Amino acid sequence: MELKAFKYASNYIIQSQEEEIKRIALELHEGISQNLYSLSTGMEFLQSAMEDPALKQYANEMTELMKRTIQEVRLLSVELYPTTIDTLGLISAIKSYIKLFTSSFGIVVDLQTTGREMEISEGKSLAIFRSCQEALINIAKYADTSDAKLTILWGLNTLTIHIEDEGKGFELEEENSRNSFKGIAAMKQRMTNVGGECMLHSEIGRGTKVTLQLPVQD
Amino acid sequence: MECNRYEQEKMELNELFLLDCSELRENLSCDFTGVALQQQIGIDVNWPFVCGNRNEKYKHLLVRYGKGIAGKVIASGSPMTINSFPENILGKTTDYPIMIAEKLISAYAVPLFWEGKPKGALLIGYRSKHNFTTEEINTVRDGAKKVEALLPSYFCSN
Repeated sequence: MELKAFKYASNYIIQSQEEEIKRIALELHEGISQNLYSLSTGMEFLQSAMEDPALKQYANEMTELMKRTIQEVRLLSVELYPTTIDTLGLISAIKSYIKLFTSSFGIVVDLQTTGREMEISEGKSLAIFRSCQEALINIAKYADTSDAKLTILWGLNTLTIHIEDEGKGFELEEENSRNSFKGIAAMKQRMTNVGGECMLHSEIGRGTKVTLQLPVQD
Repeated sequence: MECNRYEQEKMELNELFLLDCSELRENLSCDFTGVALQQQIGIDVNWPFVCGNRNEKYKHLLVRYGKGIAGKVIASGSPMTINSFPENILGKTTDYPIMIAEKLISAYAVPLFWEGKPKGALLIGYRSKHNFTTEEINTVRDGAKKVEALLPSYFCSN
């Protein structure tokens, strides 16, 4: 009974957190960004009517700063919540993230997809997406490798994702006892909450493999 | 023919940047030196010239304006020091890609100015804790002046 309550609570916390993140991301994207865009257009209009070269130059700098801010806000919004997950689906969101991941950490990810993409709920998609994100960031932080591989297999009833690297790896039991697996624990919890599983395999000198499994047909 | 001359000049310019990086690395006995430059189009920053790198990750890095050590130095136009990464850093560790990619523990970076605006950063780094002395800081600043002298050719040819 207690375990059930704990599971329910953790599910609730993750869900509330995700909802709040999504709200902030959408507010940034659809509220603040739009206002800044209107300001930027207005500034350009004012600039075109200016005759004093010094003033015109100053207005130009302001417009540039405004454009930079718009871009920053947009990127921050995408970083918080991948809106493509709602519009284009999980695979598109993962592809976009991989692009961002390579430009952020310099690690090239080989993405392979097999099978036909099925429609899955936002909660399940988000659990998979966040787990992939966590696994890839762990590669960047700890694996000491320049390459990673992400394989997506759409089965009849199951979606399986492998995120693997050939980096330095680690001793699973040793790290477990040191309680240094908070990120992995969060991944496992996320996957369990949506009825899936997260498995981890690592060997010193031979890399790490994270497997995510999710039933896709109820 | 014209194209070949352009490529030749570009190669020579790249070599000059790399020479400055390697000279600085030798003078300071540091593990890594790198030049980060803002792209001509857009505001992102990349690392076109490095020395002492452990891998090729720097080639893929595209840092957002204001992020990471280079982005912060360019956005603020002021130098930045990290003595013991990731302790006491501003933001998340993942906001410092060059430190993670090159396993740097300490770094000092100065802005590189072109036409009065910060357009890049010169960074020196160690893979161990390091307190930067005034002498080292001055050497980096002198190095930055040499790199800045190459920027007009870089930005006009790219």
